[in-house]
Amino acid sequence: MSTHSYKKHDDAEGGAPDKMTVFQDCLLGFNALPVSAKKCRGLLAKLLRLLYSGETFPASEATTLFFSISKLFQHKDSSLRQLVYLAIKELSLISDDVLMVTSSIMKDVQSNELVVKPNAIRTLARVLDGSTVNAAERLMKNAVVDKNPIVASAALLSSYHLLPVARDVVKRWTNETQEAVTAQKLLPSDQFALHEYYGSSNLPSATYSYQYHALGLLYLLRNHDRMSLMKMIQQLSGNNSPLKSPMAIVQLIRFVAKIAVEDPSATQALFPLLAAYLRHKSDMVELEAAKAIVALNVTPEQFLQAINTLQVLLSAPRTVTRFAAVRVLNRISMKNPEKIVVCNAELEGLVNDPNRSISTYAITTLLKTGSSDNVDRLIKTIAKFMGDISDEFKIVVVDSIRTLALKFPEKHGAMLRFLNELLRDDGGFAFKNSIVEALFDMIRFVPASRDGALEHLCEFIEDCEFTELSVRILHLLGEEGPKTNSPTLYIRHIYNRVVLENSIIRSSAVIALSKFALLGDAAIKKNIQILLTRCLNDVDDEVRDRAAWSLKLIASDLPEAQSFVSPLNYSLPVLEQQLALYVAGDKATFATPFDIHAIPVMSEAELNAIEFREKTDAEPVTEKVEEQSDLLKTSLLQQKYSQELSEIPEIAAYGSLLHSSKVVALTEKETEFVVTTVKHVFANHLLLQYDVENTLTDIELHDVTVIAQPDSDAYAEEFSMPIDVLRAESKGTIYVSYTRPTEVGTDLLAAFGNTLSFITKEVDPDTQAADPEDDGFQDEYQIEDLEVGPGDFIVPAYMANFTSIMDALPHQQSAVFNLGDGASALLDTVAKLVTSLSMLPLENSEVVDGNSHVLKLFGKTIWGGKVGVSIRLAHNAAKGTLAKVEVRAEEENVAEMVVEGIN
Amino acid sequence: MSLNTSLYTVKAVVILDNEAKRLYAKYFKPPHSAEDATASPFQTLKSQQSFETALFKKTHKINSDIILFDNHIVLYKEFADVVIYLVGDLNENEVLLMSCFSGLVEAFNILLKNALDKKSITENYDMVVLAIDETIDDGIILETDSAVIASRVTGPPSADAINLAKIDLSEKGLFSAFNFARAKIGERLQQL
Repeated sequence: MSTHSYKKHDDAEGGAPDKMTVFQDCLLGFNALPVSAKKCRGLLAKLLRLLYSGETFPASEATTLFFSISKLFQHKDSSLRQLVYLAIKELSLISDDVLMVTSSIMKDVQSNELVVKPNAIRTLARVLDGSTVNAAERLMKNAVVDKNPIVASAALLSSYHLLPVARDVVKRWTNETQEAVTAQKLLPSDQFALHEYYGSSNLPSATYSYQYHALGLLYLLRNHDRMSLMKMIQQLSGNNSPLKSPMAIVQLIRFVAKIAVEDPSATQALFPLLAAYLRHKSDMVELEAAKAIVALNVTPEQFLQAINTLQVLLSAPRTVTRFAAVRVLNRISMKNPEKIVVCNAELEGLVNDPNRSISTYAITTLLKTGSSDNVDRLIKTIAKFMGDISDEFKIVVVDSIRTLALKFPEKHGAMLRFLNELLRDDGGFAFKNSIVEALFDMIRFVPASRDGALEHLCEFIEDCEFTELSVRILHLLGEEGPKTNSPTLYIRHIYNRVVLENSIIRSSAVIALSKFALLGDAAIKKNIQILLTRCLNDVDDEVRDRAAWSLKLIASDLPEAQSFVSPLNYSLPVLEQQLALYVAGDKATFATPFDIHAIPVMSEAELNAIEFREKTDAEPVTEKVEEQSDLLKTSLLQQKYSQELSEIPEIAAYGSLLHSSKVVALTEKETEFVVTTVKHVFANHLLLQYDVENTLTDIELHDVTVIAQPDSDAYAEEFSMPIDVLRAESKGTIYVSYTRPTEVGTDLLAAFGNTLSFITKEVDPDTQAADPEDDGFQDEYQIEDLEVGPGDFIVPAYMANFTSIMDALPHQQSAVFNLGDGASALLDTVAKLVTSLSMLPLENSEVVDGNSHVLKLFGKTIWGGKVGVSIRLAHNAAKGTLAKVEVRAEEENVAEMVVEGIN
Repeated sequence: MSLNTSLYTVKAVVILDNEAKRLYAKYFKPPHSAEDATASPFQTLKSQQSFETALFKKTHKINSDIILFDNHIVLYKEFADVVIYLVGDLNENEVLLMSCFSGLVEAFNILLKNALDKKSITENYDMVVLAIDETIDDGIILETDSAVIASRVTGPPSADAINLAKIDLSEKGLFSAFNFARAKIGERLQQL
């Protein structure tokens, strides 16, 4: 014990008392004769204060304290003993010798001392462990059935705490616990230490908390036995339920919900139980029932009942209730915004709620529910209160608007107006930045809004106090301005900056100007040259340098000049990975310079596709889960595959990898051999990569191969690379290669029947190896078929105006199918189509609304052509799902292939 | 939404003063849980304190009863120079936590005679910690009725000088005197 650890605290202002002093005082006070109850209680309070401030004692000191405190058990004063029990409870966490106080505690548990008996019971649970709990069995049993509810609660809780270490013992009072759930226990009126200003008249006659504790314990004792659990639920629910405590009812609802989640077929039978609690006098019960129902798979009518309850809770006077209700609705709105439209009126009322979290939830929920019909009105409502709220909150709103703008591109007019008004308001950098970001996104993803948005941005930089924003906007003007119909309009705005602003802005304005000159319009070029020549006299060297450089570039007519206007977009994650590899290499690697051409260049469309995904998926709510964009992950994965494959000489000869499919599982996850596969497409070949996992512990596999039989003659097997030895509990990879038809067309579609073939050998558990003498025996294992579909030749791509691009594609094919399968919902069908075709859903069309739907998909084939698919779906419970498919493609035969593939 | 069928609902009770200094902090964990304690984000004193400081920053002078903070539901109430927090799991029933929290705060009000401030909390620390112990037992809500909670908390013992004079006027003494008298009167009445 170093002196340092007992450094004297400055205790002038009622801070935590000094540890050493308290320790010494406690020992003195507790060992004094006669013991002064008042003084000791004060000392204990000080000790607890230390413990609750985060101080701890070394185990030896804790034990010393423990011994001296245990002397106080002798004292008659129950108010002292009550605090002693609390101190023992806390010290039992750090001291090892807790068992020795057991007998003293037992004495109080046995007594009929009204004040400290419950405290004694609860402390007992801390000092007992699995081996000593037997001694307390009779005491606990008696306490559980005690007619004093506080004693019963204490005993039930203690049993609950002890359950993990003493299940068998606690089980012996299952019947008593069962009794406690339904019993009526009234608070005795004479046991209380009543405080001044507070008479006994304010005491309720019963609070039924013990029901909550008994129910919780009973569930743990019975949760392995579903029949008795169901029986218990039947008994306790309904009109004549003996349950009076709302907390106990909440607990019951959770049990019901849990059964329903685990066994969806029971949902409909259990629903009436839950629905009955949607109208209850306690908010917490109503809330729990509604929460439980919305998490279940129920019919729309049943769902609506829960929503109606939440709707009522939205106008509750208690902040917490409103918060809870709006939070549930917000969660629903992320997946099924259409289901909560009924609450819009109430939600609008909450927009001005004094609790910021509530108003944020209300706004974001409202914006999610926005359909193309009510977006305009919604924006008007929000515009009204924007003035009253803080910047931080405004940013949340702007982010939601941004998402909405991408969802409903046709509503860009109203959104632009709204954002423009905000842009003119006062606000800090973060707020202005979020608006500018929103406008940037609109320009990129909603082409129709481009001119309007650019104009607003031009106006904004006329009077912008943030250099950083001006620079970004000028850069954007340089990028987008030349593409507009009247580029000259922007030149004036940009040149104004050159005249009026600081050097940082001036230099970026110079670059932006120079981009207009590369348009190819001679008149503009000449004008720009004049403007740039003036900049050569600028006071700042950076501005002069840039102007001189730009003039040179413009005058040069070099082809590189064009790449200055539209620079190449290298795939950054791949570039990063490659550079890291390059730098990590030895001297030999540095002999050859880094090859930038090995990095895939992403077209603007691909880049947009990735970002569009990110932007529309991003949830502007605090609870969001960070997830890497799917598309980005795919491109990284693709990179990994291509690296792995190029290391195999046979495969390296195939040329570059064009496309890899997602991982397809060919077996259940729990089988003896788990097989997954990835399809790799090369210029003339199809390579199937089978990843096999041997989950058995005592069998080793030899010569593992997959016999894959294509159903079409177009594919011919070239070679197969088996796994020589697959040890117990290990993984391996088999490659099977085929030549594939080079012509685009329905020939490409095929199905492969797969059989896993191998020789099994038993493993000696001692040596962990198979007996070399053992020849093993040949065996086969049937796995599922693998389909090669159109999706294997298409990569998702983004296109801003789907309809016009579709119309421009030359080759068309359409068909009507019945996709059958009446039970599966439209949502699943859409999800399946998106994955199987491996195309990007556009215009938010992956979100299904109602029983009919139009899915718009876009992608690029591995040959480079565009392909668009529009699928009109109608769902009918009797007939299943009908699909009218229209495919348009740039290349011949692609459309036919896609149509054939969907069927 | 994960379903919590356990009774362990309250993660922590914290009382801070107006400079974010701890007056009381108890992070609950089941006493005999087999589960590895390292899973809790509040395992070390340091992580607890950084949680408290950040929470205080977020809630100071903004009285809105409830916020979501660091993947927890936090109910809080600010008084003159103290803030009381109750921390629960993200998926817990908010109203259930609130009924526990308001029961506790109201019990404080009864015990401290409506003077809920730093001074009276430190002076009556024994009653404050007993009240919390009678409301929440290692994360399980024990009672939510403020009157019942307050009535379970004993006041400090009376002065010891009288004890030395062999007149037992402590709480227990009074109880036993009262019980004795009641038993006697009961007997008499039955005899009549």
